[in-house]
Amino acid sequence: MTAVQPTAMMSGRYQRAFTVAVVFLVAGWHLAGAGGQLLHNRAAYGSFAFQGAMWLVMALAITAGSVLVLRGAPGWRPAWAVALIALAASTAAAAASPAGQMLAVNWAWGSAGWIGVLVLFRRRFSELALFLAAEALATLGVLAWDGLNRAELAGFLAVLAWSTGAQVAVAAGVRALDVAAGHAAAAARSEHAARERAATAEIIAAARHARWLALQESAVPLIAELAVGTADPGDTQVRIRCAVQAARLRRLMAEGDQVPGSLVHELHASADVAERRGIAVEIETAGLLPQVPGPARRVITDAAITILTAARSQARITLAAVTAGIAVSFVTDTGAVIHLPAAGEGVAIQQQQDGGMFWAEARWNTL
Amino acid sequence: MEHPVTVAIIEDHPVVAEGVASWVRSDPGQRVRLVQTARDLTGLSGVPGLSGVPGPSADVIILDLELSGELVTAQIPGLVAAGYRVVAFSGHSDPEIVMETLDNGAHAYVSKEEGRDHLVEAVLAAAADRPYVTRSQARAILADQRPARPALSEQERQALLLWFQGMSKASVGRRMSISENTVRQYISRARAKYAATGRPAPSKDALLTRAIEDGVIRPGEITPYRSFARAAAEPSLGAPDQ
Repeated sequence: MTAVQPTAMMSGRYQRAFTVAVVFLVAGWHLAGAGGQLLHNRAAYGSFAFQGAMWLVMALAITAGSVLVLRGAPGWRPAWAVALIALAASTAAAAASPAGQMLAVNWAWGSAGWIGVLVLFRRRFSELALFLAAEALATLGVLAWDGLNRAELAGFLAVLAWSTGAQVAVAAGVRALDVAAGHAAAAARSEHAARERAATAEIIAAARHARWLALQESAVPLIAELAVGTADPGDTQVRIRCAVQAARLRRLMAEGDQVPGSLVHELHASADVAERRGIAVEIETAGLLPQVPGPARRVITDAAITILTAARSQARITLAAVTAGIAVSFVTDTGAVIHLPAAGEGVAIQQQQDGGMFWAEARWNTL
Repeated sequence: MEHPVTVAIIEDHPVVAEGVASWVRSDPGQRVRLVQTARDLTGLSGVPGLSGVPGPSADVIILDLELSGELVTAQIPGLVAAGYRVVAFSGHSDPEIVMETLDNGAHAYVSKEEGRDHLVEAVLAAAADRPYVTRSQARAILADQRPARPALSEQERQALLLWFQGMSKASVGRRMSISENTVRQYISRARAKYAATGRPAPSKDALLTRAIEDGVIRPGEITPYRSFARAAAEPSLGAPDQ
């Protein structure tokens, strides 16, 4: 979860940079390219005011489209709304141009295509192709209306090849860069993961040493007492101490497994010892459980061992995903007062004795 | 109740069918009468495509979800349409299967581990169109992450969580400082909300109607669609009421 975030952020940053580049390209074309052509040919148009108005409409479409793409991937409705406005304005501008000179003085075809690139380049490629084809057909339609001759058709094809080619190339290029940014981010992530693995290995080694030390304090003295004879296996207290230590040993072995859901695994190991005493233990989970760090798991399994040791005939352990954490609960039949080990490491423990039933819940929060 | 509820057992393992029958027979009040035991669905009357005999042969079917190695959850809508109430009884406890079973119109879901304590009660509740929520059902509801899940209140979630954890409803009430009846109310309401979502079924309508009549839920609390803005309801045990 946390490992994915920097990757997404990193490739997201690149993608934003590409988006900004496309915005500048499209705005620059409309200002300098289309605007320049419009001014240069101003005398040729029947109504320069109308051409200017269409130019403004398209400038507004570029502004709207830029806002859309800079906010994130636009949905098909707003994207196509902008694209269709551009298509309509460019067709109107072309239709209002003088017949016979339309291709020479047309400033709008290129801008409309670039607006399509702006709002559609991160959508399916077929959408951009559809838009560019519609734009070309509209222009061709205007030419045909005015009476198309062979020279004009050749000119049309030349402009089509040049402008549409450039637009498709830019759209495809940015898509390729998006993919490359994804790869770069993934590579960075795998490097990050390798460093994390090395750090984890160190932590595991330290934890093993700590476990060995813990055994020196708890299990070893008990074994020594049993060997010397100062601890009597017939004594209930000694048997309980043995059960607890056996459960700890099992848990320590289970802790070595770096597997997902290891808390469940460790609780199973703790339950195993109780089951040997004839206690029926159920373990159930609800929801997608978060990973609980080692020290917090230790607090939870310590509580489990204490509770299972006091169980009379049955115990139910549940693990449920709750907001930003996990709730591990224990319900068992015992009349005994259970003194749970200290909470901590982000784990809060609550308990309730209700007649012969004992309930406790250990809650760990990521927050 | 004037006449006992009639039940049919559909179970392909004879030993399990015999066990279920013995639970039904050993009910102290003899509230349920077993009228049919079958190894598959072909012998049921009133189900289109299965049998020519019209009308359901029993009030409730106890349905093993896996017959001859095949899941039969997809058959539940047909059974419900024929007028049966279905209580699913299954060795599966996968929350997705539980949800699919309820969505298809089953009244309740009883896992095989829960059978002895819950099956007869679930049958009685189904016959009366009343919600019955086993721990395996509570688990499936707690685990439900589908976008179209109904919005549960914090209290409903908390009652479901404690019930799933294994407390008795009386203990859940003491834990939440509410009466046992209110605990039942919360859990039943959560179940009723599920009857208002997903695939329409006559059994769901009956359950909802009964829940409204019983005052378990008000019509205004039925949310057929859960908006993401209301997705944050989760229990918190650190609340000051403990």
